[in-house]
Amino acid sequence: MSGGGEKGTGTTKTPADFLKSIRGRPVVVKLNSGVDYRGILACLDGYMNIAMEQTEEYVNGQLKNKYGDAFIRGNNVLYISTTRRNLADGA
Amino acid sequence: MASEEESAVKEPLDLIRLSLDERIYVKLRSDRELRGKLHAYDQHLNMILGDVEEVVTSIEIDDETYEEIVRTTKRNVPFLFVRGDGVILVSPPLRTA
Amino acid sequence: MANNPSQLLPSELIDRCIGSKIWVIMKGDKELVGTLRGFDVYVNMVLEDVTEYEITPEGRRITKLDQILLNGNNIAILVPGGSPEPE
Repeated sequence: MSGGGEKGTGTTKTPADFLKSIRGRPVVVKLNSGVDYRGILACLDGYMNIAMEQTEEYVNGQLKNKYGDAFIRGNNVLYISTTRRNLADGA
Repeated sequence: MASEEESAVKEPLDLIRLSLDERIYVKLRSDRELRGKLHAYDQHLNMILGDVEEVVTSIEIDDETYEEIVRTTKRNVPFLFVRGDGVILVSPPLRTA
Repeated sequence: MANNPSQLLPSELIDRCIGSKIWVIMKGDKELVGTLRGFDVYVNMVLEDVTEYEITPEGRRITKLDQILLNGNNIAILVPGGSPEPE
């Protein structure tokens, strides 16, 4: 592990790098309320406001709604994920 | 890169700009939904909507049977202002490409 | 600002976690464990190979995620080295 402020590991990926890398890709956006949105990420800004296409809304893992285009206000966003998620109910 | 069309969505708020004078769907906190014509908006997503239908969904638990009762209340408002901080999601009408 | 007694700034501590496991406890009933790839001044974080734990009335729900950008807004506690629980 390197000391103070030195990050030249080659594996560092800042939030800005991540945002650049995910445009046009399928993403899962999870809100603080627990609702998930799956769709194609059109674009996003520094507030984590998000524009998505072919958006599906999942509440408790169940499909509740579909939107052609959707704008999600960034303050509600918990995370943006690149993956298709695997669900497993724990103990 | 050089010739971006005016209709291109470069930042999320462009999606809202392209919905001006169209009927949009707005999902708000505390299970409120609005459908109405977008007259104006700003960077906070404060919005002015016209011809609005508001749907409020509430879930009540029956005291005796403990069954969940889903209630939706609808009302129409000719003109209203939405404060942006309550907005979760905005969806424009389907545009045919 | 002049007399900061600590030898290590909080952001330096997080910086030292880049490349290793970190345990993130959110405000509310959520926790995540993953490998820290980077972060910014808001402590938004890029995490890889993430396990998300949600406490729900039905029990604990576990979600696996490849790579996420976690909003720093609702983070409560960061623990370097990951969670003590076996995965």
